[in-house]
Amino acid sequence: MKNLFTFVGMALILALSLFLAVITGDYGPWYFAWLVGTTMIVMIAVAGAVMYEKQDAESQDKTGHSH
Amino acid sequence: MDMLINPTVVELSRLQFALTALYHFLFVPLTLGLSFLLATMESVYVITGKPIYKEMTQFWGKLFAINFALGVATGLTMEFEFGTNWSMYSHFVGDIFGTPLAIEGLMAFFMESTFVGIMFFGWDRISAKAHLVVTYLVALGSNLSALWILIANGFMQDPRGGTFDPNTMRLEFSSFVQLIFNEDAQAKFVHTSIAGFVTGSMFVMGISAFYLLTNKRKDIALRSFRIAAVFGVISTIGVVTLGDALGFIDVKAQPMKVAAMEAIWNTDYNTASAPWNLIAFPDKAAGKNLFEIGIPYVLTPLLTHSEDTVIPGIHQLVDEAKPKVVNGIKAMVALKEYNHDHSNVQALATFKQYQADMGYGFLAMQYAPDQDLKKVDASNLASVVDKTAHETVPNVWVEFWAFRIMVALGFIMLAIFAFAAYFSLKNEVEKHPLLLKVALWSIPLPWFACEFGWITAENGRQPWTVYDMLPTFVSASSHSVGYMIFSLIGFVLLYSSFIAAEMYLMFKYARLGPQASHHGHDKAPAGGGMAGQPAFAKPSLAKK
Ligand code: HEM
Repeated sequence: MKNLFTFVGMALILALSLFLAVITGDYGPWYFAWLVGTTMIVMIAVAGAVMYEKQDAESQDKTGHSH
Repeated sequence: MDMLINPTVVELSRLQFALTALYHFLFVPLTLGLSFLLATMESVYVITGKPIYKEMTQFWGKLFAINFALGVATGLTMEFEFGTNWSMYSHFVGDIFGTPLAIEGLMAFFMESTFVGIMFFGWDRISAKAHLVVTYLVALGSNLSALWILIANGFMQDPRGGTFDPNTMRLEFSSFVQLIFNEDAQAKFVHTSIAGFVTGSMFVMGISAFYLLTNKRKDIALRSFRIAAVFGVISTIGVVTLGDALGFIDVKAQPMKVAAMEAIWNTDYNTASAPWNLIAFPDKAAGKNLFEIGIPYVLTPLLTHSEDTVIPGIHQLVDEAKPKVVNGIKAMVALKEYNHDHSNVQALATFKQYQADMGYGFLAMQYAPDQDLKKVDASNLASVVDKTAHETVPNVWVEFWAFRIMVALGFIMLAIFAFAAYFSLKNEVEKHPLLLKVALWSIPLPWFACEFGWITAENGRQPWTVYDMLPTFVSASSHSVGYMIFSLIGFVLLYSSFIAAEMYLMFKYARLGPQASHHGHDKAPAGGGMAGQPAFAKPSLAKK
């Protein structure tokens, strides 16, 4: 049951994204660019932080202390 | 409109609006950017499960809260200012302008305020994932309220979606879709929102650099620095490219603003080789640059993304405005006649014929004898037309330099973020104290860029409140000079005290920082040291 809800939830998000892409892509290219761009900026910054944790763990392995 | 308009009152109203807007805009960009940075930090918390990211979110959230409260307080008064000081403007475009403004009010107060409450007080009451969704909604909410105000401003820059009704003397809604999908509004929104991201990044990066320089909570500082540097470098690239796009749109929608921004007096038909003024000292009275350093072959491709588009100079645009002034005067005289007698079909027909240039008629009023366009006749027409056409030129000096400073700051910040991101990704920022010092002292730069950006946008729109349609001169309320000076002083005192409060609280809490950690972060109790406490209720984070 939980899987079904997850599936339906994801399908709704997908449908909404497609709708947004089609409507804003046509009439509001800059709004669309903002949605995509902001998502990208956040995701890359998150990845930067996750990478920090990996680097920190590696240096901890080497030197035995972490920040 | 029969009452004489006092130019001093108009100037004081302008000054008051400019000051309150500039004050308000000290708070806005940080809210726009820091909210998404908080969402980023909290996402890392939810993904990695490391409590230190929760602590980080709560610490920066405390600074966000101070700024948010003052941003809302200074924004509120501005919404009323339209009614009190710009009643003619509000009457003329209220139908259109009021709609996005009302949606903005609802978004700001209902959506943001509700979710901000949950964001601060809900750490312990809802699940980590639900809290993350709330933080994203706060970020989205603040940026969406900026969107609505920029849609309203987009209409003032390039009016679309409204038609003038001579019966009601108002600009009325014809298309909501045109209003919200106005190219100018769209480009403004992305540029301004991302400028906020730059501001938030510089703020977090600079304060983190301060902690690194003073050996305070390096665990939080290094992580915050990393997130801010990466966030900042991409955002700055974004703000520069989107700024270029905004300029490109301005070339089509507001040629006079662009000519002033670039201090171009004479049209250069050798489009490919036309020089771009790196430095100029424009003199409006003389109608030329007293001094200039131009770089050939740059102007046309930079502004129009082509080799052969002609960019009209100020003198040409003034000449083009002259027939519009003549038509505008005819339109306004006919409109007045029609207003006295609604059965006068001839007057209505004449008005419709010249309606497109109505704004230029409004603009000519200040040069007509007794501000009455009916008194413009063959003896004074040429002089009224000439003065009015020259009135369409904004303050070129201010426009040129405000734009230059914003752009220069954009590139300087790009360089700082690029170095910061590079060394942070190599985990070497601590080896570069100079970089840390530069990051710390660069905190004010994005604020300067934002303020100069607004000056570029709004000074360049003069003499209009609604471009080509409604001049600033006829937009203000008919207050007395005494009242305007009194309220101006009141605003300056009140808003200065807000700024002082913000600076005091920001310095206090930023200096204090997240409390020193005596343990490795991984030993922090699950739920973070602040669990169950409002993030801004205590001057420092609870001891772990
Ligand atoms: C190469 C860099 C940049 C370019 C080409 C650029 C371009 C522009 C232009 C053309 C405008 C006037 C918009 C109008 O006519 O209404 C503007 C406004 C503005 N800019 Fe920039 N800009 C740049 C960098 C920045 C930076 C770094 C910031 C702040 C961090 C910034 C913040 C603003 C703001 C807040 C406004 C006023 C809002 C608006 O009207 O869009 N800009 N920019």
